[in-house]
Amino acid sequence: MAFPKALQNIRVVDFSWVRAGPWATRWLGALGAEIVKIEWPETERGRLPSSTTPQGMETNLNTSGNFNDTNVNKKSITLNVRSPKGLEIAKRLISVSDIVIENFSSRVLQKWGLGYEELCKVKPDIVYVSMSGYGHTGRDHAFTTFGPVAQAVSGLTWQSGLPDAPPAGWGWSYMDDTGGMYGAMCALTGLYHRNMTGKGQHIDQSQMVSSVPLNGPALLDFTVNGRGTRRPGFPPGNRAHWPGTPLVDNYRGPTVAPHNAYRASPGGYNDWCTIVCHSDAEWRALEALMGLPQDPRFATASGRLAHQEDLDTLIESWTSTLGKYDIAERCQAAGIRALPVQSAEDRVENDPQLRHRGMYLPMTHPALGTHKVQNAPFKMSATPATNTLPSPMIGQHTRDIVEGLLGYSHNDLRAGYDDGTFWPVKRPRFSYQEEMLQ
Amino acid sequence: MTCPLAGLRVLELANETGHFCGKLLGDLGADVVKIEPPGGEPCRGIGPFLDDVPHPDRGLPFWYYNTSKRGITLNLQTEDGRALFRRLAAGADIVLETFRPGYLASLGLDHESLRAENPGLIVCALTPFGQTGPWRDYLSSDLSHMAAGGEMASCGYDEADVPNAPPIAPGGGNAWHMGGHYAYMAIAAALVYRTMSGEGQLIDVSIHEACALTTESAIANYIYRGETLLRQTGRHHAPAPTARTQFRAKDGIYVTALISGGLNPRNVRSLADLMDRYGMAGDLKDPKYQDPAVIAENAARIIDGLLASFIASLPAEEVYRAGQGAGFTWGAVRAPEDLLKDEHLHDRGFWKTVEHPELGRSFVYPGEAAIFNGSPWSISRRAPLTGEHNLEIFVEELGLSRAELSVLRENGAI
Repeated sequence: MAFPKALQNIRVVDFSWVRAGPWATRWLGALGAEIVKIEWPETERGRLPSSTTPQGMETNLNTSGNFNDTNVNKKSITLNVRSPKGLEIAKRLISVSDIVIENFSSRVLQKWGLGYEELCKVKPDIVYVSMSGYGHTGRDHAFTTFGPVAQAVSGLTWQSGLPDAPPAGWGWSYMDDTGGMYGAMCALTGLYHRNMTGKGQHIDQSQMVSSVPLNGPALLDFTVNGRGTRRPGFPPGNRAHWPGTPLVDNYRGPTVAPHNAYRASPGGYNDWCTIVCHSDAEWRALEALMGLPQDPRFATASGRLAHQEDLDTLIESWTSTLGKYDIAERCQAAGIRALPVQSAEDRVENDPQLRHRGMYLPMTHPALGTHKVQNAPFKMSATPATNTLPSPMIGQHTRDIVEGLLGYSHNDLRAGYDDGTFWPVKRPRFSYQEEMLQ
Repeated sequence: MTCPLAGLRVLELANETGHFCGKLLGDLGADVVKIEPPGGEPCRGIGPFLDDVPHPDRGLPFWYYNTSKRGITLNLQTEDGRALFRRLAAGADIVLETFRPGYLASLGLDHESLRAENPGLIVCALTPFGQTGPWRDYLSSDLSHMAAGGEMASCGYDEADVPNAPPIAPGGGNAWHMGGHYAYMAIAAALVYRTMSGEGQLIDVSIHEACALTTESAIANYIYRGETLLRQTGRHHAPAPTARTQFRAKDGIYVTALISGGLNPRNVRSLADLMDRYGMAGDLKDPKYQDPAVIAENAARIIDGLLASFIASLPAEEVYRAGQGAGFTWGAVRAPEDLLKDEHLHDRGFWKTVEHPELGRSFVYPGEAAIFNGSPWSISRRAPLTGEHNLEIFVEELGLSRAELSVLRENGAI
């Protein structure tokens, strides 16, 4: 049965690059919008450098695995927007589109002659989402970010790690993923508002600023109680509270023990299992599961917190004899919150829940071949969000867009290749580009 | 200017796993009515509390995640409670619920029957694992999601910094944020679809899947190259060790100082110019460092020697601002409380003063993630007190008499 798409007949002009912006438009595409990704090979960032090209395959603009996963559901046109002719074509595209989205530094689109006021002249109700590092207003708008910098400056990095050690931070660009989410959320919200009122707008999203509200309870503890986080025992690693330090809530949920990651058998790099008990009953169930007599020191929440080191040693002496999935299954069967630490391989190959839900489904890409691609973490009954296109090869859809959508002639297309509008004149072309010029 | 979601009515039946999504809807202008069990949602009991005095109306996480909502109490285990809920659902646009799968159905309030009475209704069930599958009924916590979702496998320490360190779950409750973001996205898409079709729908969101999606390239590294990634102190996971990017400044605060594009001649020149302003360039101004081969030979000394010493000589904020001024994407590793001094955030009107009239006080709250120039995203009110709007909703809106309200209370329905 063919389902409709939530964003059918919506077109997005996508100037975004690297990761955060493309992660936003990936989802708009899964929801059914036509995503027209505007690229230029000389300034491209996201396809290259690639550290995810399969071993034995040539690394080029079309063989990054991570680019593929980040850019499914899109079409690609190569266009030199810095040339007057390219700019004119971009405007023609915008005039038949609903959303413009980009994640450049704060003044780039304006310098190209595509600031919000210009966009409005071309398409009065355009929804324009800028996803810059620091936003388009404020004294530091020219500062630049990557995920790790937004995470550092906003306080996210600081909240990850063991006390009295350097911050462990986040081992990836969490704020590229999450900045991307905010880009998509803003675009959808702006689109809903447009549909209801007929009015577009400029939405000024910032990767750095979007990080700050993710620290809400810690910020309120400071603005309300005057308590900062530069204090003994913070951050408390995987625990809810660090033994021997003042008993204060640490913003992850209730202050309980056990609340930790424990070594599992056979002791490999990712052989760990987390266990959390939110109540005396959950603890008693764990104690029974471990085959231990009831220990009066651990009978109460405060007792377990006071004797957390002994408690954790005891639990780990049990977990280290069992595999991480075995621990989780036994615990869950007894009503105890336990889940294994999962590597990427674990998630793709060993997680029965993700398999059941169809999280990783194969798609075929013309250069990369057939590989699993990540899917939406939600099921929509009327308008499922599904991956419909593999990531585009660079400029793969230039002819479709220029001739099919915008109504230029085939001679115009050829002329644009000759004068450097659609591809740098001296740069070798891919075979599919030669074919589209036939 | 009206808020982007003005005119929408949301019924929120959410605990700590889902109230962030309701906050997003509320701060963006929807009329969110939070429905709690009599006595209040148990997550009101999570601290820290105002002045460290535990009370259901004083929990700061509850305050933060429940702005721009009104609150009523309703006991869905009573027939009166269910009847009132059905009346509310008949007039609602969105129901957001975080009950364990099957719970509402067991009360006769299954998603389909709610929608049968109100075809435009969007029902979003936001749960740890979704409505189906072998882990559907598993119990979880933020920590367990960070484990199974893959966050922990990517976060931790270099062996030199913390020997035998466990994988680390970043704090702050981000599993709930990840689920909330995707839930919001799905709801917003359903709203757009409804503007064209008039139809609502059911949305089944899995927090586990949201977390599993939020580890950047880790999945691609495995799928395309079969790689397992190493955890490294304060920087990206990687298949093999990479140069450190986190350095301790003079004030003991760390700085994230990554060199975008690596140590190429242009970056080395900029770095030398920046450090030279502080007399800390060492021999880096020597033209020989414009030769990539010489740079490569000296890379470890440039990073671990010169750059680390430069950063150690200045306060972190100064390194951050000087680095950004010189075109480097650097940042100070700030604690959340340091953000109150950030002038850029003040310029953007980020901080919001929220009144708590019952206390006769107002407090500063973090504001919105983005500026909507045509329809504001902004906190409209503090979190509701327990049952604060019972009179407003049940009497003024649904038309019950005060006497009926009293009877409902006496019988444990509200």
